[in-house]
Amino acid sequence: MAFDKMELRDVEVWDGNHAAAQALRQCQVDVVAAYPITPSTPIVEGYAKFQSDNFIEGEYVMVESEHAAMSACIGAAAAGGRVATATSSQGFALMVETLYQSSGMRLPIVLNVVNRALAAPLNVNGDHSDMYLGRDSGWIQFDAYCPQDAYDLNFIAFKVSEDHDVRLPSMVHQDGFMTSHTAQGVTTMDDDKAYSFVGEYKPMNDMLDFEHPVTHGVQTEEDWHFEHKARQHNDLMTKVSPKIDAVFEAFEKHTGRKYSQVETYDMEDADVAVFCLGTSVETTREVAREMRTKGIKAGVVALRVIRPFPFAKIQEAFKNVKAIAVLDRSAPGGAPGAMFNEICAAMYAAENSPLISGYIYGLGGRDLTKAHLVDLYNELEANVKAGKVTTQLQQFIGVRGPKLAYL
Amino acid sequence: MSEMKKIKNLKEFSTSADRFEGANLLCPGCAHSIIVREILNATNDDLVLGASTGCLEVCTAVYPYTSWDASWIHIGFENSSTAVAGAESMYNALKTKGRLKQPDRNPKFVAFGGDGASYDIGFQWISGCMERNHNMMYVVLDNEVYANTGGQRSSSTPIGGSNTTSPAGTHSYGEKHNKKDMMGIMAAHNIPYTAQVAPNKWKDMVKKIQKGFATEGAVFINAVSPCTTEWKFDPKDTMALTDLSTDSLVFPLYEVIDGKEWNITYRPKNVVPVEEYLAAQGRFKHLFKDQYKHMIKEWQERVDENWAYLNRREEARV
Amino acid sequence: MANTGWDEFEIGAMLRSFDGKIDDIAGTLQEDRAYSPNNSFVASVADWRIEKPVFNKDYCIDCQFCWIYCPDISIIARDKKMIGIDMDHCKGCGICVEVCPTNPKSLLMFPEQAEEEAELANWPAKDEEK
Repeated sequence: MAFDKMELRDVEVWDGNHAAAQALRQCQVDVVAAYPITPSTPIVEGYAKFQSDNFIEGEYVMVESEHAAMSACIGAAAAGGRVATATSSQGFALMVETLYQSSGMRLPIVLNVVNRALAAPLNVNGDHSDMYLGRDSGWIQFDAYCPQDAYDLNFIAFKVSEDHDVRLPSMVHQDGFMTSHTAQGVTTMDDDKAYSFVGEYKPMNDMLDFEHPVTHGVQTEEDWHFEHKARQHNDLMTKVSPKIDAVFEAFEKHTGRKYSQVETYDMEDADVAVFCLGTSVETTREVAREMRTKGIKAGVVALRVIRPFPFAKIQEAFKNVKAIAVLDRSAPGGAPGAMFNEICAAMYAAENSPLISGYIYGLGGRDLTKAHLVDLYNELEANVKAGKVTTQLQQFIGVRGPKLAYL
Repeated sequence: MSEMKKIKNLKEFSTSADRFEGANLLCPGCAHSIIVREILNATNDDLVLGASTGCLEVCTAVYPYTSWDASWIHIGFENSSTAVAGAESMYNALKTKGRLKQPDRNPKFVAFGGDGASYDIGFQWISGCMERNHNMMYVVLDNEVYANTGGQRSSSTPIGGSNTTSPAGTHSYGEKHNKKDMMGIMAAHNIPYTAQVAPNKWKDMVKKIQKGFATEGAVFINAVSPCTTEWKFDPKDTMALTDLSTDSLVFPLYEVIDGKEWNITYRPKNVVPVEEYLAAQGRFKHLFKDQYKHMIKEWQERVDENWAYLNRREEARV
Repeated sequence: MANTGWDEFEIGAMLRSFDGKIDDIAGTLQEDRAYSPNNSFVASVADWRIEKPVFNKDYCIDCQFCWIYCPDISIIARDKKMIGIDMDHCKGCGICVEVCPTNPKSLLMFPEQAEEEAELANWPAKDEEK
């Protein structure tokens, strides 16, 4: 039974969830195994509706947990075909065991993660706790700031992950509700143009090749494990980054939309810069622009690719800056923020040594306001003038009660 | 539908070319591999296999060796069922899309797990696979204990057995709970085929496996797998122990079709007292002390009761 | 394999059962298969044995009980006949001897160091009590 193509307008008004669901449909994913969880549920609901209306040819398996969703995705990917799913928060946490397994088995699955806080206390809104939880899992992580990005990055993720030199799974992150449920204009590709970007899936070590049986998921103890993990790390460190650059370039040629591993805004002559992720990026860019009218040379740096961490590209982005504020939207759990640590590590090894301060914000969906960001840029400017960090290294912003600052 | 392999007798069966290899690391005398061989040799069709973490998995896919001559996957402890269901879903997708490399094959999808992986940690995953009626077979290698990790109780461990987490002692007869009725629970999913098998009764077993392979939809198999290490008997006695397990009716052999039609498939000519089954195993040794002897009588009563229950289910056809 | 570095093996710790293509595995006997160096078939567990089975074909009736109940795929049956034991894969469990129905048995366990020819020459006679 052939499936139907869907007529799309050049610009559709989609939220991030629908944009991701449409991208999965257009990539002609072979197997989606999924389990619903707020706020990612509309992705799998949207996909289900596409299937009900014959816009999809492939298997859609509604399983009984997120762990099972990724387990089925692993089985399906090892069998040899295009595989995707979506999740958030607690579901992501339940999946963690299988995240390490899928990347270790080098299976190119695409996982849409609609970022949400981690309990306790239970919270359905967006922060980056789940995104951070995936940091060491061996996956490639892309970060979308808006529905358009969520749409585009799915195509890019398949193209990178499925490359035979890469064969590592990808997460496409978007912020819960702020992106996932906020409708914006999304410039679309028609179905043929969209599919032609990812192309037909090319199997590798596929279990369904009955003439070449393969064993997946072996045990390696102390005499083998280190080498296999080292191989995976090496490929993440050396093969993925150039591949992402090439795919970004191909995507720009295909659509005119340009992505970079490190997205910089007004950084050419910036003295002070804010580093952030997700929906905060667009807000911060707006504030940076306003700060310029007040005479502060403000810029913004954000990651499009969280893993592999673009170490050298971060150094390049910050090479002329005097003070940096690193924003972490995740409970730091008794340490400096994770991105604060990573930016510090990159800049410690860089030629210039900017002043770096960390901020914890937005937990559980708390808004980051423009006023917060104005204060923050002013603090950075004060740091530049003083030639040192004038505040404590870690400050909480937007939390009620006495001021929280550490270190 | 592919043609069913003809296996009239053992001589004919012995012409099978095994797809499970030696120099695996299972204990000498392990029943797991006897069960696996009988299952794999029951068909000539291609196989897509999976195994949960456990004895079978850690002994057959330790880098750099595999003992499998068919595609095989292991992910974790709880999810061999879902891994194989995922592969089966991909097969269906590629079949629909006309992208199978060898479209003329009729692969069989089989997932293995121990009782710990099945009765306990993977219970939900198996239930999901059965409920969704994937065209696959799930096989429990039921040795009633976490053997791979050194003998901890599972919810398949029978009452009165001594193991490392419910050891027998001066004030305890060992495991306090009755074995979970996994067969009943799986049959209640109303899947097309559920069966309990034992490798000693190879004809009964192969017949059931072939029936399972011929079934469109989910199949659940519970296979008794006497464990020389944890049941504590001499490795040479594995088949003798299996005989005791089936002939004492501790492991009755039966099948359930569509969750409704219960058929007892083996009625021992001479039923062996349960006491003989218990006496043959070190894990029940303490039950023969005066202090715990009452347990043996209770064991016999429980087995009799279960046998009567199965007979009633068979008769009732509900 | 033992000294291979991190860059010298396939990604994902994936193992192949065979070298190259195999069309019909279930229709190909072990001797006709191109096993890969990663197939445990090419390995040996002979050093696990304390005792070994010795096969006396004079008494064998080719019932194949030993074939089906061998956990280690070590009973070699070809054309419905028992033709020997795979001593690389036999772990010496002794199941084959226990399930052998002949009188005297066609398989018996002996210490690993025993001389096979001597044991065959001194094979026990039929047990009249059985």
